Amino acid sequence: MSATARQWLDDIRALPLPENIRIMNVCGGHERSITMAGLRGALPDNIELIPGPGCPVCVCPEEDVYEAIQIALHEDVILTAFGDMLRVPVNVPKDAIRSLEQAKASGADIRPVASPMESVQIAHDNPDKPVVFFATGFETTTAPVAAMLAEGTPDNLYVLLSGRLTWPAVAMLLDSEEAGFDALVAPGHVATVMGADEWQFVIDHHKMPAAVAGFTPESLLAAMYSTLRQKIEQRPFLDNCYPEVVTTGGNTSAKKHLSHVMKVVDANWRGVGIIPDSGFALTEAYAGHDARKQYPGYADTARKRAGQMPPGCDCARVVLGKIYPNECRLYGKACTPRTPIGPCMVSDEGACRIWWAGGVRESAA
Amino acid sequence: MCLGIPMQIKTIDGFLARCEAKGVERDVNLFMLQDDQVSPGDYVVVHIGYAIQKMTEQEARSAWEIYDEMLAAEHA
Repeated sequence: MSATARQWLDDIRALPLPENIRIMNVCGGHERSITMAGLRGALPDNIELIPGPGCPVCVCPEEDVYEAIQIALHEDVILTAFGDMLRVPVNVPKDAIRSLEQAKASGADIRPVASPMESVQIAHDNPDKPVVFFATGFETTTAPVAAMLAEGTPDNLYVLLSGRLTWPAVAMLLDSEEAGFDALVAPGHVATVMGADEWQFVIDHHKMPAAVAGFTPESLLAAMYSTLRQKIEQRPFLDNCYPEVVTTGGNTSAKKHLSHVMKVVDANWRGVGIIPDSGFALTEAYAGHDARKQYPGYADTARKRAGQMPPGCDCARVVLGKIYPNECRLYGKACTPRTPIGPCMVSDEGACRIWWAGGVRESAA
Repeated sequence: MCLGIPMQIKTIDGFLARCEAKGVERDVNLFMLQDDQVSPGDYVVVHIGYAIQKMTEQEARSAWEIYDEMLAAEHA
């Protein structure tokens, strides 16, 4: 740990801390830095760091993954998806294909990509074949997908969009009877794109301390220090501890493309249910690139229900910050990165996977 | 998927830039920065192949340093 990070830790220890304070982060990148830097162990015991809804792979609804699998299996297409999505399992009868990885093994042309540009290149290289880009992610990832479409894409590229907005999930938690946290560390790259002011509601509507953080231990500790001071002084305000790239209003080009290419709609979160105004859908102007319009027969509406995690899997409660990863009964027993049961153990941004990678092997269930 | 990597722009062709970080080169799309002035030599944060914001050289260098430290700790 750097000298600056150690100084922040000393500053935090010197604060007249409350008996117990719970700080939630809502970004897999934040949780990864916190776990890998060992911040939980380094901070005083009365500070709880809670991983919240920060994993887009984990909340991607089961029906969307199922739809992608079915399109890849039954249509003569190339399906591209971010690598994390390939191993996400859906609930199907035993012996049926339960992931994109299994669909690929059975012959479907499924290609992992790391960037929307790779999907565009694949469409260019295969002009006679439709390419379906299964685009999952939060604002940081959905904005580049919007930019890709706004810039112009080959006619044979279709987007199966499963984009989500982060703040409505936090708003839903704060509007519930028991939010489960006392301060918020807001996601740095979501705020880079959308603007820090997207998080102002936490202070205005809920009088809760909040600070935007970057991904280094220094920036995260600075944000934690800020929220702790805000709490102690009872003077909540939205702090920006990632001023290198985060501005109040965000990236204007990115937001312009998002609003032109996509509209905000109610959306289902896996295991959580419908959250109002929390998803993206393509606007009419881009309907020609909408995979759901091109291949309408695969949306299985019967699957659209909350709580579709695999039996015994507590991913939904992990995502909402209600329990820690190792409080799930399956953690480290039936569910490990090698044989994941739920999406939180699949994705690099899933809290279960991060805790496992960080060396947490003991179940607390 | 939300981790952004600071990279330096080497060359620009339309909205496509060749960028470099610690000896690794990648094509980076600049379409999300079309309202900004970007030139070779500038530093940007890159997320899934798209530059999402400009940053200063000093900020990029300090981010690389800290990411290196974090990766070393992860593989230790």
